[in-house]
Amino acid sequence: MCNHTNKNIYLPYLATVEEIVDETPDVRTLRLVFNDEQLKENFSFRAGQFAEYSAFGAGESTFCIASSPTRKGYIECCFRSVGRVTEELRRLEVGDSIGIRGPYGNSFPIEQFYGKNLVFVAGGIALPPLRTLIWNCLDLRDKFGDITIVYGARTESDLVYKRELQEWQERGDVRLVKTVDPGGNGPEWDGQVGFVPTILEEAAPSAENTIALVCGPPIMIKFTLPVLEKLGFSDEQVYTTLENRMKCGLGKCGRCNVGNVYVCKDGPVFTAKQVKAMPMEF
Amino acid sequence: MQKHITQQNFNNLLDTLIKQGQRVVAPRMNAGTLLYEPLTDSKEMITDQLPKRSGKETFFPLCEDIMSYEKEGQKITLTDIDPTRFPETVLVGVRPCDAAAIPVLDAVFSWDYKDEFYLTRRKKTTVIGLACTKADDACFCTAVGLSPADSKGSDLFLTPVEGGGYVCETHSEKGEQLINSNKELFTEANGSKALPLAQPQTETFDLKKVKAWLDEHFEDPAWDSIATRCVGCGACAFVCPACHCFDIVDEGTEKSGKRRKNWDACGFWKFTHHASGHNPRDGQPKRYRNRIMHKFKYYDDKFGQTLCTGCGRCIRLCPVGIDIAQIVEDINKK
Repeated sequence: MCNHTNKNIYLPYLATVEEIVDETPDVRTLRLVFNDEQLKENFSFRAGQFAEYSAFGAGESTFCIASSPTRKGYIECCFRSVGRVTEELRRLEVGDSIGIRGPYGNSFPIEQFYGKNLVFVAGGIALPPLRTLIWNCLDLRDKFGDITIVYGARTESDLVYKRELQEWQERGDVRLVKTVDPGGNGPEWDGQVGFVPTILEEAAPSAENTIALVCGPPIMIKFTLPVLEKLGFSDEQVYTTLENRMKCGLGKCGRCNVGNVYVCKDGPVFTAKQVKAMPMEF
Repeated sequence: MQKHITQQNFNNLLDTLIKQGQRVVAPRMNAGTLLYEPLTDSKEMITDQLPKRSGKETFFPLCEDIMSYEKEGQKITLTDIDPTRFPETVLVGVRPCDAAAIPVLDAVFSWDYKDEFYLTRRKKTTVIGLACTKADDACFCTAVGLSPADSKGSDLFLTPVEGGGYVCETHSEKGEQLINSNKELFTEANGSKALPLAQPQTETFDLKKVKAWLDEHFEDPAWDSIATRCVGCGACAFVCPACHCFDIVDEGTEKSGKRRKNWDACGFWKFTHHASGHNPRDGQPKRYRNRIMHKFKYYDDKFGQTLCTGCGRCIRLCPVGIDIAQIVEDINKK
């Protein structure tokens, strides 16, 4: 859906912060509700798409839409406070206004995953871009085979969506493998200890009729792809989402390209095959 | 359609348009710098030099407001800026290198999402191109397939002729309309000989060959030697008629302010710098490589043209003497 009713493609919609959840000491989730009643009902997007979020006076930041398209009436974003805009977004309180442009970019071809097993592999703050798809799939649970989620972070406190990890762990229809880096575990930790690629290899999900969805820091991706290959996944069976600094999100401003691929328009969702064809510029 | 117009009548045409309330933009001296700027009188127009910056800012200004915001407690009011309010404009005396860049920019701002800030100005502007009779040693339009008499991007194209005045050739309905609405100022083309055109002293690049090399050499030791000295000042992008990268920033206070679209440059380190500290182009050679790649490969991959019109401004202005024509010529010889 196009985010403008008039001719100005840069004009955001206004939304209100409905709920704030602190995921970690510096990562926060905002639940946002569009001020316009009609938009609130009709805003539609697909898992994997992103938006531009405004903190007026500071500017815009690019994040994925972290909630599932199956959950109507609101959207969620999840961000770490690291810069001018995210610091300002962090200062927002319930009831404050935010600007949203989007949804932009391509999305996960979820219909092509029907009837298949899914393996989600995420590290740290990179769970939100997969969490939208995880809930999308869980809300359509009958359409998929086995669902495995391998999620890790440096320490227990760096894990985001802790309440949902609990929920996934307790559901009978998801296999959750959670892990923290060695030394990141406290006395009560009930998950694995080790880096995501190692834990993924141990968990050894079958590649047969399976799609792997990977998102994490570049170093995690680098070591995860060979593990998937070892497990028998072809590059067409593996999907990831890229991020780059963006401004317009519309294929104009010229900064998010990796070679001749524009992350904002051609992505952010790519197969491992597509990523491997790109020059090393991300 | 081909007509003749005297210099005096051409000036009369511009003065008439100015009186009618049209914005007439032409090369004009501003505090010692020749720029494409709105005229108040045709006498201000200077046509014997290439302006310091290109004509692109007629459509795509250096800074432009795209909305404003006002905060009162938890309430925020956004004020839209209607891009359709821009005035009718005639852009006059545009050099072929600047005019040829306009269709190049059109492709960027009109594919998929429509940037009406650019497109409305574009729609409302008639471009009058002017053939070049002088070239300096930085000019290289002929190397990238254009010429001092190329009418690409012009609605009406003027060629100076012996005995004074210009031969005017129309290249669009807008150009014809301009002549038809001011018929009395034009006469039938009388066969006067065109003044000798400029002759840029460059070899013609085989752009297909250059692109084929770029296709295969994202990683190449040449990039370090080409761009180690680049200081990342961004001047090349700011004077380029075809560069179009921009930033979106809020300027104002927490209470109120404007959101603006400002020119940006891929030579700046911050251009691709992530908030996390990671920078995919973490050195000047990588950033300069993107400049060359974008101009001679990426843009071509997407839109089937080259993103360089050979105006030579980046060569004249570069503080460390980087010569894009030389770089491409070297690639051409590989």
